[in-house]
Amino acid sequence: MPKSIPWWVGGIAMSLLFYLSFSVWGADRPIGASTGMSYIANMLFGLEPENYKYAEIIKESGAWEAVMLIGVFFGGLFMSVFVTKTFHISYIPTLWKERKNKSVKSRMIWSFIAGFLLVFGARLAGGCNSGHILSGGSQVAVSGIIFAVVALGTGIITGRFFYKKKGCKV
Amino acid sequence: MIERISNMFATVTDQAHGSVWLVLLIGFCFGAIILYSRLDKFEKMAGFMIFEDTLVPRMAMTTVALSSLGFYFLVDAGYASYTIKPTILGGLIIGGILFGIGLVILGKCPSAFFVSVSEGRIDAFVGVLGGMVGGAVFTIAYPWIEKIIGPDLGKIRLSDFFGGYDLAIVLTLSTVLLVTAYLLPTINYVDPADEKSK
Repeated sequence: MPKSIPWWVGGIAMSLLFYLSFSVWGADRPIGASTGMSYIANMLFGLEPENYKYAEIIKESGAWEAVMLIGVFFGGLFMSVFVTKTFHISYIPTLWKERKNKSVKSRMIWSFIAGFLLVFGARLAGGCNSGHILSGGSQVAVSGIIFAVVALGTGIITGRFFYKKKGCKV
Repeated sequence: MIERISNMFATVTDQAHGSVWLVLLIGFCFGAIILYSRLDKFEKMAGFMIFEDTLVPRMAMTTVALSSLGFYFLVDAGYASYTIKPTILGGLIIGGILFGIGLVILGKCPSAFFVSVSEGRIDAFVGVLGGMVGGAVFTIAYPWIEKIIGPDLGKIRLSDFFGGYDLAIVLTLSTVLLVTAYLLPTINYVDPADEKSK
């Protein structure tokens, strides 16, 4: 088996999966992930729908996405163990070592902050990459297009300042 | 806790959005495609934003181009319906900015970091923890946040904005995306860590 699939195979496979999820033969709703993150967070921290308005709002769509995320985890695990055989414990991505630093502590602190910003930001906007950009874009939703432009634009600008220039010695 | 988890599965069963098994299967395939195309890697997502790799934009454009066409015809034939997220301008812009910063630093999005964790990446796991705290803080702060995220422009699609021409918009969008995806150069960041772990 090849170690990875090219972009167009990935794109086609992804849209076939989206058709399944979106149509009445499948789940009759588009795929999203960050509401599920929020749902799991509320579950872990014991924020019950009876006491928190937001937990009540996402009670249904959050449960759907949380169950989907369980599937996502096992889908990734299955592929990394049996197909790509890339499963190994690692702490710092190669490109981070090249363009930022080699400190495990620094990577962990930034990961935590970035994870916080990702879910908090996604909740503020009402969706993330999958919900807004992929599913939203596919439905030609105005919200998805605005989110894509703002998020990717900010990311590219932040990347310029946050990382070192290519070829710079660490 | 166990009660909450069984409650979660029961909530999914009660919704008209597929059985628990189907939802798990959709997630499984989603995770498998993300991992197999290597979309979960820092080098791909952050790499795209610092111009080291072009897999993410090409794959995302292909997905949106094909899905928007398919979705249009599914809805047109009555086999699906659009589920549009509301355009809440303040939330979208502030949220998009925070999300963009998080995305380029962590280098994975809120489903890809689960995939990364399943590949043994500890930094992704720490990102998930950060995300959990982020989600909890949002839920607690929601009564205040609710007041500042407006104005809500409603659940609008591009065709509502232009007053029609739905098919023309979908066809134009998907053509532009497919051509752009095809024309983008192939920049592939080869990660030595992947080669070693064979």
